[in-house]
Amino acid sequence: MSTPTHAVTSPRSYAVTPARVLRSEWHKLWSVRSTWITLLFSAVAMVGVGLLVAANYEDGSREFVDPIQIGLAGTQIAMISLPVLGVLCTAGEYTSGMIRATLTAVPRRVPVLWAKTGVLTATVFPLTLATCLIGYPLAQSFLTGTDQEAALTDPGVLGAVLGTAASLTALSVFALALGALLRSVAGAIGAYVGGIMILPEVISMIPVDAVDTAMEYFPAQAAGNISALDAVAGAGAPSPAASLLALGLWAFGTVAVAGLLLKRRDV
Amino acid sequence: MMRASGLTKKYGDKTVVDDLSFEVHPGTVTGFLGPNGAGKSTTMRMLLGLDAPTRGTATIGGRPYAAHPAPLTEVGALLEARSVHPGRTAHAHLTALALTHGIPRSRVDHVLDLAGLTEVARRRVKGFSLGMGQRLGIAAALLGDPATVILDEPVNGLDPEGVLWIRNLLKSLAAEGRTVLVSSHLMSEMALTADHLVIIGKGRLLADTTVDAFVREAGAGAVKVVTPSAAELAALLTGPSVTVTGDSPGTLTVRGCDSAHIGRTAAAHGIPLVELTPHTASLEQAFMDLTRDAVEYQATVRTPAQATARTSTQTGAQTSAQATALEGTSA
Repeated sequence: MSTPTHAVTSPRSYAVTPARVLRSEWHKLWSVRSTWITLLFSAVAMVGVGLLVAANYEDGSREFVDPIQIGLAGTQIAMISLPVLGVLCTAGEYTSGMIRATLTAVPRRVPVLWAKTGVLTATVFPLTLATCLIGYPLAQSFLTGTDQEAALTDPGVLGAVLGTAASLTALSVFALALGALLRSVAGAIGAYVGGIMILPEVISMIPVDAVDTAMEYFPAQAAGNISALDAVAGAGAPSPAASLLALGLWAFGTVAVAGLLLKRRDV
Repeated sequence: MMRASGLTKKYGDKTVVDDLSFEVHPGTVTGFLGPNGAGKSTTMRMLLGLDAPTRGTATIGGRPYAAHPAPLTEVGALLEARSVHPGRTAHAHLTALALTHGIPRSRVDHVLDLAGLTEVARRRVKGFSLGMGQRLGIAAALLGDPATVILDEPVNGLDPEGVLWIRNLLKSLAAEGRTVLVSSHLMSEMALTADHLVIIGKGRLLADTTVDAFVREAGAGAVKVVTPSAAELAALLTGPSVTVTGDSPGTLTVRGCDSAHIGRTAAAHGIPLVELTPHTASLEQAFMDLTRDAVEYQATVRTPAQATARTSTQTGAQTSAQATALEGTSA
C-alpha cells in the first residue's frame, strides 16, 4: 500500500547515530543540577576528609593504614556519592518518565545505555583523578616527617592514585547498571549500598576459606585492593591488576545484563 | 499511514489489548476512543515500540517504529503527561531529544514558539503547570516535523484556550497531510476534532467508523412512536429520506423526519398516537452504550450501509484496505 505524500519536508540527514546519542546523553547529564551538586560534593568530600584525617594523624600507625588510605580517606564517601550519580543517570529517567521520551527517540535502546556508560566514565574518571592529584599532595603536606610520608613519585603511589580514580569510576558504572536493571532510584541505591557494604559482611561470616578468597573479588574489596599500597595489601590479596580486572568485569557485566533486559522489557 | 494488525497484549493472564486491527490514514484526524482502561495507552505504546505486543504487529509507514533510522521525523508522540526530568529546562529537554537526531537548535526554538513556551523555555519543568507540561509534550512531539502524530489524551489539564489550541492544531496537522491519532475518553471532544473514530472497549475493537456515520448510528434525530396502527403509520411515513423500523409491536423508530411531521401525518389519517418522543440520545450516550457491552454491539455498529458511508469519503485504495480490515475482524 502506498503512503500518500505528506507536506513534511524534513532533511534526510536526520538520523540516530551513536555519536549523536552520546552527545544527547552528555547534554542530559550536564543539564540537571543534581550532577553539579553530586560532583562538587564528591570532590570536596574527597579532598576535605583526606586533609582532616592527615591533619589529625598520630605517628606510628603505619601497620594499620597506608598513605593512600589517609590522603584519600574521602574515597569512602565518594564511593557512595558518585555511584548515586550513576543511579540517577538511569533509574532517574524511570522515576521522572523521561525514559519514554528517550527510548522513543532512540528505539534501538541499547545505544542509550552505552552512551550513558561512556558519558559517566568520561566525567567521573577525569574528575576523581584530578581530585586525587590535588588532594593527595595537600594531605601529604601534613604528613611530612611521619611514617606516612610518600610522595606521588614514590614507587606504587601514582599507581594507587590512578587505581582509586579507576575503581570509583567502575563502581559508578556498576551503580548505573544497577539503576538500569532495577529502574528505581531508591531500589538501586539500596541494592548498591547493601551489595557493596552489607552483603560482604554477611557472607564473610560463612567459615569457609573459599568464601574468603571469593570475597576479595567483590566490588568494594576489589576497589580497596586496587588503591592499596603493597606494604599493607601483602596478606595474600589479589594484585591491583587482578582486582581492577575483577571490578571492571563487575561493572561491564552488569551493564551487559542491563542492556539485554533493556532491549526486552516493556517501558 | 499507521496499521495495527491482530495486536494483542497480555499481562499474565489479563488481556489488555485483544486482537486489535485498525488503520489510521493521512490527512484526517482519527480519534482513538475508549473508556478508561480500554487499552488505548497500551496500544499507543505498542505502536511506538515501547511495549512489545504478545501477538500481532504495529507498523508506521510500512515499518515497525524501531526500524526507522530517524524515528522522530517519522512519528511524534505525546504519551503520559510528563515524560520529562523535572530538573531540566524546557529548552534543555527538547535539545536532548533533538541531539539524538542531529535536529538543529533553530527547530527547538521553533517548536517552543509553536507551543507558546518561548517565555518559559529557560525555566525548569518542575514549576510548570499541567497545561504547560502538556504543551511541552506537544512541542516534543512536533520536534522532528513528523509525518505521523500520536497524542495520548492531549487536552488533559488544559484550560479552554488550550483545548481550542489543540483542536486547531490537530486539524491543521491533518490538513498538511499528516496522519493524526488522538486518544480520548471524551466523545464530545472527539466529535469536534476527529473525522474518523476507532473505538475500543476492554481491548477489543468496537467500531471503526467516521464521526458522521457514528452520529447517524447514534440515533440522533430519531423519533419513537407508539401507536396501535403501527403498520399503517409506517407505510405512510416511509419515503426516500425516511426510514422506519419497528422494534416491538406497536412501537416505531422513525429516522429522517421530525415529530411535528409525524404528528400531523397521523392526525391527517386519523391514527391515534399513544406516544411521540424525539430521541435525544447524545453522542456521549451513544458512546457509553457502545462501550458498555462490547459483544452485543459489535454486530450492529458494523453494518454494510455504514461501511459504504465511511469509505465514500476516502480514496479507492483505502476502501479496499478497509473492506479487508472489516472481513478480518468479522471472521
